[in-house]
Amino acid sequence: MTTLTMAKALNEGMRKAMEDDPKVLVMGEDVGKLGGVFRVTDGLQKDFGEQRVIDTPLAESGIIGTAIGLALRGYRPVCEIQFDGFVFPAADQIITQLAKMPMRSLGKLRLPVVVRIPCGGGIGAVEHHSESPEAYFTHTAGLRVVTCSNPADAYAMIQQAIRCDDPVVFFEPKRRYWDKAEVDTSGSADWLPLDRARVVRSGADATLLAYGPMVKTCLEVAAAAQEDGRSLEVVDLRSLNPLDLPAVVESVRRTGRCVVVHEAPVFSGYGAELAARVTEECFYHLEAPVLRVGGPSTPYPPSRLEDHYLPDLDRVLDAVDRAFAF
Amino acid sequence: MTETLTPAPAPATRPARLSRLADDDLALLLLIRHFERELLRLYGAGELNGTTHTCLGQEHVPVALRPLLGPGDFVFSNHRGHGHYLARFGDAHGLLAEIMGREGAVCAGVGGSQHLHRDRYLSTGVQGESLPVAAGVALHLRRTEPGALACVYIGDGTWGEGAVYEALNLAALWDLPLLVVVENNGIAQSTPTGAQLAGTVAGRAAAFGIGHHLVASADVNEIRPALEPLVARVRRGRPMVVEFRVHRLGPHSKGDDTRPPEAVRAAREHDWYARYAHDHPDHFQPLDARARALVEDVVAEVSARPPSRWSPCA
Ligand SMILES: Cc1ncc(C[n+]2csc(CCOP(=O)(O)OP(=O)(O)O)c2C)c(N)n1
Ligand SMILES: [Mg+2]
Repeated sequence: MTTLTMAKALNEGMRKAMEDDPKVLVMGEDVGKLGGVFRVTDGLQKDFGEQRVIDTPLAESGIIGTAIGLALRGYRPVCEIQFDGFVFPAADQIITQLAKMPMRSLGKLRLPVVVRIPCGGGIGAVEHHSESPEAYFTHTAGLRVVTCSNPADAYAMIQQAIRCDDPVVFFEPKRRYWDKAEVDTSGSADWLPLDRARVVRSGADATLLAYGPMVKTCLEVAAAAQEDGRSLEVVDLRSLNPLDLPAVVESVRRTGRCVVVHEAPVFSGYGAELAARVTEECFYHLEAPVLRVGGPSTPYPPSRLEDHYLPDLDRVLDAVDRAFAF
Repeated sequence: MTETLTPAPAPATRPARLSRLADDDLALLLLIRHFERELLRLYGAGELNGTTHTCLGQEHVPVALRPLLGPGDFVFSNHRGHGHYLARFGDAHGLLAEIMGREGAVCAGVGGSQHLHRDRYLSTGVQGESLPVAAGVALHLRRTEPGALACVYIGDGTWGEGAVYEALNLAALWDLPLLVVVENNGIAQSTPTGAQLAGTVAGRAAAFGIGHHLVASADVNEIRPALEPLVARVRRGRPMVVEFRVHRLGPHSKGDDTRPPEAVRAAREHDWYARYAHDHPDHFQPLDARARALVEDVVAEVSARPPSRWSPCA
């Protein structure tokens, strides 16, 4: 066990993957010498060389396109998109090539490409450094979409994503990069499969469904609710596509209430899918409609207003109250 | 690795003596310089959030262009745009208020450092995306306001983005009054130009049949008359790339300079500020003191303002 920040855990995970498999490459803007804006790739170029850790030009579409080409020839590229807001120039390659080529080729072509995207707000940054674009990608069939919420998962999930033969969009909640926790770096025996959700706190009265940055928020909510005598279960979805529906359904059938929490706008957000699925599968068990807490439908606001935008303890507790009052 | 034809950053020979500037040009250069320095100080002191990219060392670019662009022209700026804005509007209060989110901000504090909108001025921090937009505006200008142009500022690294080439193709095909001003500071964040740009900016412009002009000087009196006929040509529908060879004095944003100390020292050799102070001390000193005082006042005044307010889509 070692204590690692999430950024360092990702770094160690990539390092391990590169040691294990010489076909693993890292590429992106300023990932080499600088070690990435958040230093997630720090030291990798020094240790693995410029052939394996590639500083690219500013060319998101080119980065993903060349990663696809490299993957066609047997490599496992891990691409860093510098910030959430810069994935859009690459969206064309991700949506029209990366997601679809394996299906078009009837699975003969596998594309083990990982697209790492620091996501979400909470660091006082501008709009294109604070977005939560996961729903664009969960909507795109052919991509796995996962997100880690803590250092231990970060360490394991990045390695699982790299080993996976499908394209994986890997969201990293940037405001949790500096969170520290104990990480077991001794082996993979205890790792939960990449596509499985985890109950991170068990409870009996309501289920909070969260992922990425909001898992920690929901754990704080559950602790606060405990003082009011309410027992909340928190499920960290981890994989958004595929969704671990059995885990979600099992929890909500047991608790009878469900609140979905994410940073992205509520309207047409990932929570809409969750609400629909939970309603279909748990209808007779629900004491209240599935409620959603998320951002409003506006572009991400200037930093001094982000506290109003981001779901926090009060907003989630309020939704919990409404679920109980129904 | 492909062979790169892009010249390495200029050697650290001491540049030529600067000519004596008009008061307003020097005052504007100094305003931008002290504004940017003050911003870095404010960030360092924890009074500002997020990030900022200062144009330290590149101030002469928009100052040289200032009288060549009229109010009917559009300016599209990028992440390193404070100098572009100050050269167009001289409005340090509005800009600082925007960055600090205080009353009187250019965009009510919603846009911040990288997303400004005022009259015919628009900036974005997403690299390359403004070029096609500028081309669209230029198309409209050509049709309805002949003689006006769209000027778009980009860095050397932004030449990696595909949107740049779609726009250049359109501009050349459709004879658009599009002026692309490249601030080639030899680096994109941490990546030297030689590692991110194959060939040259000039060669890329030539591929589209677009004119290219290189500016190596930092002397506003030298640059401006050379650009005047070129800008006039753009107004007649001949798109043009003007590439300034500049030197980034500061970090990419804040505290993230990966260059070796020699490279930063070499960049400083080209700094117009120290050179002008040396070449024209009598002219420099009073105006420098005035610009410093002015920026101090702006900071004091704007910091004391209440937070900005707005109603969306009003
Ligand atoms: C589409 C996009 N990708 C990545 C970034 C992150 N980024 C901001 S500035 C920058 C470097 C830009 O280099 P250059 O064009 O040379 O301008 P300079 O910063 O040197 O002025 C990068 C990579 C961005 N803003 N937009
Ligand atoms: Mg540059």
